[in-house]
Amino acid sequence: MIFEIADVIISGLINGSVYALMAVGLTLIYGVSKAFNFAYGSFYSLGGYIAFLLFGLSFINNYFLVFLLAVPILLVFGYFVEKALVAPLRKRDDWEIKVMMITLGLALFLDNSFQVIFGSRMKSLPPFLEGSFEAGDFYLSHQDVGIFFLSIGGILMFRWFLNNTRTGMSVRAVAQNPAGAQIVGIPKEFVFAATFAISTVMVGMGGILLAQKYFITPMGGWDILVKAWVITAFGGMGSIRGGLYAAFIVGMLESFVGWYFGMTWTLIVLFAVLLTTLAVRPQGLMGKWG
Amino acid sequence: MDHKRITILLAVIWAIVALLPLFFGGTNFIMHILIMCLIWSVVASCWDLIMGFAGIFSFGQVAFFVMGSYASAIISGQFGIPPIFAVFIAGGITAAIGILVGLPCLKLKGAYIALVTFAVHMILEPVLKGDIGRAIGTGGTRGLLTIEPMTIFGYTFTTASPVPYFYLFFLVAVVCSVIILVVIKSHWGTAFLALKDSQEFAICLGVSAFKYKLMVFALTSFLTGMMGGFYAHYVGMLSTRMLGIDLFVTLMVILVIGGVGKFPGAVIGAFITIVVNELLSPLGPYRPITMGAMVVVLVLLLPDGIVGLFERLFSKNKHSITH
Amino acid sequence: MIKLVDVNAYYQDFHVLKNVSLEVKKGQVVVMLGPNGHGKSTVLKSICGLVEKVTGLMEYESENITGMGSEKLVNMGITYIAENRELFPQMTVLENLKLGAYSRSARSHEKDNLEKVFDLFPRLRDRQSQSAATMSGGEARMLAIARGLMSNARFLAIDEPSLGLQPNLRDEVAKIIKQINAQGITLLVVEQNIPQITTLADKLYVLEEGRISFEGSREDALGNDHLKEIFLGM
Repeated sequence: MIFEIADVIISGLINGSVYALMAVGLTLIYGVSKAFNFAYGSFYSLGGYIAFLLFGLSFINNYFLVFLLAVPILLVFGYFVEKALVAPLRKRDDWEIKVMMITLGLALFLDNSFQVIFGSRMKSLPPFLEGSFEAGDFYLSHQDVGIFFLSIGGILMFRWFLNNTRTGMSVRAVAQNPAGAQIVGIPKEFVFAATFAISTVMVGMGGILLAQKYFITPMGGWDILVKAWVITAFGGMGSIRGGLYAAFIVGMLESFVGWYFGMTWTLIVLFAVLLTTLAVRPQGLMGKWG
Repeated sequence: MDHKRITILLAVIWAIVALLPLFFGGTNFIMHILIMCLIWSVVASCWDLIMGFAGIFSFGQVAFFVMGSYASAIISGQFGIPPIFAVFIAGGITAAIGILVGLPCLKLKGAYIALVTFAVHMILEPVLKGDIGRAIGTGGTRGLLTIEPMTIFGYTFTTASPVPYFYLFFLVAVVCSVIILVVIKSHWGTAFLALKDSQEFAICLGVSAFKYKLMVFALTSFLTGMMGGFYAHYVGMLSTRMLGIDLFVTLMVILVIGGVGKFPGAVIGAFITIVVNELLSPLGPYRPITMGAMVVVLVLLLPDGIVGLFERLFSKNKHSITH
Repeated sequence: MIKLVDVNAYYQDFHVLKNVSLEVKKGQVVVMLGPNGHGKSTVLKSICGLVEKVTGLMEYESENITGMGSEKLVNMGITYIAENRELFPQMTVLENLKLGAYSRSARSHEKDNLEKVFDLFPRLRDRQSQSAATMSGGEARMLAIARGLMSNARFLAIDEPSLGLQPNLRDEVAKIIKQINAQGITLLVVEQNIPQITTLADKLYVLEEGRISFEGSREDALGNDHLKEIFLGM
C-alpha cells in the first residue's frame, strides 16, 4: 500500500514536472502576445516525431545529440509559424478568433500529416537512461528521475533567461506593458515571434521526454493541449509561477484519481476542479486581470 | 451589412436551396449531402451568433450538438417519446447544460471561456463512453445503432426517399435562421455590438453583459441540441466519433469561408464547405490535410470570408461610381 | 534638429494631425500648448515612431525619419516619455532603468547614464530594488523620466510631466527639465500646468484641433490675449 502510494506520488511528480515545462510555454505566449495556440498539442507530437526521425539517423545514438538537433529545429519552426501565420493577423478585427482558427487549421494539417507519414501505429523512443533504484517493493527507474530533472532544469534555465538576459527582460517587458516596451525601443514583433519559438521548444521537449513513457501517436497532442490549458487557466493565464504550482497539482491529482477511480475519470475530475477554482477565483490561482 | 440586406440575401439563398431537389431529387447521394449542408448551416450560424456577434469565444458547439443527438436518441428509444417531441426536449436539455456551463464561465475573460467550453468538448467523449454514459444509455464505445426514425402525423421519414426529409430539414433550417436574424435585428444584436466595441461603455449604458451572454448561450445551445436530435433520427446511429477534431474543424472552415460575424455567411459557408469536403473525399487520408491547409490559407487571404469579400467589392464599386 | 513639414497623422479612420509643421533646433526647449484631446500627444508620438499612420515629412538631423519604427528611432537618439508613464509594473526600479537602455546605442553608456540618473533623482538610487507598481505618483513620474534618459537620447519628447503630480512637485519638474536641457539634450515638452516651464521655452507652439495655431516666443504669446488667458494661466 505504502509503496503503491509512493509510486502514485512519484508518477504525479514526474508528469507534473513535464506538464510544468509545457504549461509555462503556453502561458508565456498568452502572457506576452495574448495569442492562443491551438496547435500546441501538435507541436508536442512534432517534438516526439522529430526525435523519432533523428534516432533513425545512423550517427545519432544518444539523447544529447537528439536535443542538440531538435531544439534548433523546433525553434526555427516556431519562429516561422509565428511570422507566417500569426503575425499577419494581429492588425485585423477579431484577431484573437482568427489566431485560434488558423492554429486549429495548422493542428489538423500537422496531425493528419503525421498520420500519413508515420501511420497511426504508436511509435516509441528508447529510454534515455537504463536501470533503476530498487529497495524491496519500491521501484524508481533512472529514466523517471532523468525526466524529472531535465524538465525542472528546462524551467530553471528558462527562468534564468527571463531574469538575466536582455532578450528575457524584453519578453517580460512586452508581457507587462506592450506600449512601454515599444517606447523603450523593444522590437515587439521580434519578441512575439521569439516567445512563440521558445514555447514551441518547451512543448516539443515535453513531447520528447514523455514519448519515452507514453508513445507518440498522431492525435496524442490533444490530450496534452487540454491539460496544458487546464493548468494555465488553473494557475492563472500569463502567470508563470501559477502555472508551475498548477502543473504539479494537476500531475498529482491525475495520478491519484487515475489510481483510485481509473483513468477515464482523470479529465472529468480535472475539469471539475478547474470549474470550481474559476468560480471562486476567476483569474486562476495567481493570475492578474489585464 | 445592414439588416435589410441580410434579410434579402437570406431570402435569396433559401429560395435557391428550395429549388435544388428539382435538379438533384433523383440522386439520394446528393440529397444526403444537401441535408448535411442544411444541418451544418444551422450549427455554424449558431456558432457565429455566439462568436461573431456576441464575441464569446465558445468552442463547445460540436459538444452541444452531440449532447442533443444522444439526448434525443435516448429519450425516444428508452421512454417511447415520439422523435418529433424528443428533439425539442433534447434541445431543452442541451440548453440547460448550456446554462450550467455558461453560469460559471461567461463571467470569465475570453480565453478562459474558450478553455472551459473546449474542455466540455474534450471530456464529453470519456463521459459518453464510460460508466456514466453507459448508465444513461449511450451504448458506451459501441454507440447507438438503432435510433427511432422521425415520424410526423403517422408519416415516417426514411433516408430511402430523401426529398421529404430534405424539406423537413429545410423548414427547420429556415426557422432557425429566421430566429437568428430576429436576434441580430433585435436590441440583443445592438447590445452585442455595443459590448464588442467597448464592454465598459456598454455596461455604463446599463447593458448587462452577463445576462445577454447567458441568454444567447442558452438559445444557441437549444437550437444546436435540437438540430443534433434531428440529425440522430436522420442517420439512425450515433458514436463518439463525431467528437473527433475533423468535424470541429469542418465547422470552423464554414465560419472562415462564410466570414465571422457576417451572417448569413455561415449558411453560404456551410454549403460550400460540405460540398467541397465531399469532392475532396477521393483524396482519402490527404483530405483532412487539405482541409487544414485550406483553413490556414483562407484565414490569411480571405479575412472576412465570402460575405466580407462581397462587401468590399460592393463598397469599391460604389466608390468608383461616385468619384 | 527635428523638423516636421505638413505632417498628417491618423488613428484608424480618425484624422488627428492636419498639416502640422514645426521645428526644434539643437539645444532648445520647445513647449507645446493646447486644449486636451487636440493632438499634442500625437505630435510627440508621431515623431517617436509610435503612430501607425503618418504622412508628410519628418526629419531628424536632416535625415528623413518618416515611417521609421520606435526601435530604430530610440537607437538614433529620439525617445518619448509618456504622460501615463508606461512603466513595467512588476519590475524593480533598476530593471525599469536597464530596459530604458535597451537600444544598442545606449548599452555601452548604461553605467554612466545610471550614475547620471541617480544623481538627478537620488530617491531612485535608494529604491533601486522596489517594484515599480508600489511607487507613489511622483516617484513613478521621476522613474519614467529617468528611464527615458537611460536611452542616451539627444532628443526627448516629454508628454505632460505634471500629470498626476501634487502641485508642490511641479517646481521640481521644471527644475529637472532645466537640468536635462543643461546636459545638452534637446527637448520638446507638452505641458501647460507648470508656468515655469514656459519661461524656459525658446519657442512655444499652440495646437488646436490638430493644427498649429500659434508659433512664437513667450513674449509673443503674452501679447496675445487669447493665449495668455487660456494657456499661460496668467
